[in-house]
Amino acid sequence: MSITCLRGGRVIDPVNEVDEVKDIYFEGDEIINFRNKKSKDSVKIIDVKDKIIFPGLVDLRSHLKNISGGQSENILSISQSAAAGGYTTILLMPDVNPKADNPGTIQHIQDRIIKHSLVNILLCGSLTNDGKGGTLAPLGSLKEIGVTAVSDCPSTPQNNQIFFKGIEYASMFGLLVIDLPRDISLSKSGSAHDGPQALKMGLGGYPRIAEELFVQRAISISKSVNTKIHLTSISSGGSVEMIREAKKKGIQITADVTPHHITLNELSIAEFNPNFKTSPPIREEADRKELINGIINGTIDCIASAHEPFDEHQKNVEYDLAPAGVTSLETSFSICYNILKQSDQFSWLKLVKLMSHNPAKILNVNAGCLSQGKKADIGVFDPEYEWVYNEKYRKSNASNSPFNEKKFKGKIVQTFVNGKCIFKN
Amino acid sequence: MDLSHWNKKCLLGIEELSSTEIIQILELAKLFKLEMDDAYSDKFYLRGKRIVNLFMEPSTRTRIAFELAAKSLNADVITVAEKSSSLTKGETLRDTALNIQALGADAIVLRHSSPGSPLFLSKIVDVPIINAGDGAHEHPSQALLDLYTIQERVGSVKGMKITILGDILFSRVARSNYWALSKMGAHVTFAGPSTLVPKQFESMGARVSHDLKEALRDADAVMLLRIQHERQSSTHFPSLAEYTKIFGLNRDRRKWLKKGTLILHPGPVNRGVELDSELADSPQSLILDQVTNGIAVRMAILYLCAGK
Repeated sequence: MSITCLRGGRVIDPVNEVDEVKDIYFEGDEIINFRNKKSKDSVKIIDVKDKIIFPGLVDLRSHLKNISGGQSENILSISQSAAAGGYTTILLMPDVNPKADNPGTIQHIQDRIIKHSLVNILLCGSLTNDGKGGTLAPLGSLKEIGVTAVSDCPSTPQNNQIFFKGIEYASMFGLLVIDLPRDISLSKSGSAHDGPQALKMGLGGYPRIAEELFVQRAISISKSVNTKIHLTSISSGGSVEMIREAKKKGIQITADVTPHHITLNELSIAEFNPNFKTSPPIREEADRKELINGIINGTIDCIASAHEPFDEHQKNVEYDLAPAGVTSLETSFSICYNILKQSDQFSWLKLVKLMSHNPAKILNVNAGCLSQGKKADIGVFDPEYEWVYNEKYRKSNASNSPFNEKKFKGKIVQTFVNGKCIFKN
Repeated sequence: MDLSHWNKKCLLGIEELSSTEIIQILELAKLFKLEMDDAYSDKFYLRGKRIVNLFMEPSTRTRIAFELAAKSLNADVITVAEKSSSLTKGETLRDTALNIQALGADAIVLRHSSPGSPLFLSKIVDVPIINAGDGAHEHPSQALLDLYTIQERVGSVKGMKITILGDILFSRVARSNYWALSKMGAHVTFAGPSTLVPKQFESMGARVSHDLKEALRDADAVMLLRIQHERQSSTHFPSLAEYTKIFGLNRDRRKWLKKGTLILHPGPVNRGVELDSELADSPQSLILDQVTNGIAVRMAILYLCAGK
């Protein structure tokens, strides 16, 4: 088998606490220690001088409705999009069409993934049937067929008993529950954060409290059942504080934030552009700062893309009628690098940990590490590369990104999955 | 008349207007009002122009006033109401507007429940868009006619204290009036129950009061808004009876007002709920003047957007 060497890059491997210029070797799909090899083996050298080399990113919230082909985002295009963003493993939320709430459908989706995907796509099963929060999905059977976690994201059961029993039942199988905390009764018509900007625009309806009450619900249930719950897409500064306190008490809560929530604030909706409509909504500057603090001080465990593609005709409608959600995979790493490097506590190790090792650990999957014997899932980032996110770079079939036409410094330039180069800029 | 202060194609809201632009519209409205009274004057200012009223929400006053305004200027006016449009067949607003443009419209007057929908359309079609009310966002023609009506009575609103009372949270009229009045130098207080008048309105620059007596005490004008208890605000306060009891403007509370305080209401008035007939029909009430002035103000808007 041929050996590949990524030569001269700055290698960031949080698990092994490596941050140094060194060569990475892999043979076939596996990372190897080259010193153990005989010198006659032929080596293909890829020069990655001045580039950052890290374990491929792991995402724990991506959405894909369409698992067939066509011009909408599909398995191939989302995987190309992930690859272009340095992701080698992504977790699909269960709101696919048909819903991932039974073993048959999940088998069908898995078959299509094997056929079409360039990256590792894991599946999150539904927590309740049809994701409607009424009755529990067959979680044991879902686990058997191979789901990585369960969730009703982008919704969550409103009935506390169903949610409580779901967590308790899932914990029997060691099945992680991912929760997007949202009290619908407090956010039913919610198209925007209830802040000064939305008030002026006649929008609103999704206050912080709608999230915070359900963050508290998850914390209390996690404590009561003594099991893990992962909270996804935290948007309120108040939630960060609650999670911090819960962690201090040893409660097994983990949480992620999205790249857009740490970059934008409520002013971004001023032009009624639906590409800034997200669930949960983008909140105030104070929240944004709290989320960043949470990332820096470790309260927030990871960054999840919350990639949610929509066709142009679905998204480009009246703001309040547009679905919430934005594409994200291709810009996530560049955004997080640009935002977090402003902190004096920034380190490459921290950033890579947030987007690779930590999500892998939460999902309990074998990824996010460059140790010998691990799969050669690797990202290469050029921190000096200047680019504008537009048609030229876009791999996703959807264009509902809040960062269309945004200038970036730093770009993923190469991505390897199982030792195979699946993206090259 | 010198119309050089108006360089906009659309009228999307008052927030984006300068005081000079507001004055321009009102000056022109004054002219049209004078001409309206002159039966012998032919007003062919918009002859041959096609104005399409696209009304996706129920409306009486605004729709009729826009129709009459267009007719008074000799424009061809067509009104499309939601139930008679292809939107009931699943056509999107965007496609409906593109079709109206393809049919040769010279301006679209849009009433829609989605905040920002006029701005949305203005980015899609080249035809001037006139906002006739978009959700809880803005209702610029209403605010302009309110301002016109107050000014007609008192000359200038500069320094006036004006209280807008009622369901502010869901009111486009309140928001547009805030912009119009404050840009012209008036001091605006939003008053009503705390659930319908959140303190956060102070970030816009308005004063917020939840105490009716205090809100009425210094007011030079009070604008009452209809309480839409059957709609969004059903969870925001207990009942209409309770509202009337705490915030209704009735005979007894009239004495809390200064002498001669002006009474305005954009309609429809729920008599006996937010306002008693005795005040609604009193000489200090400008309610019917508002309606009449609605035509002249909308003539000015149509002329500036479609006629230039």
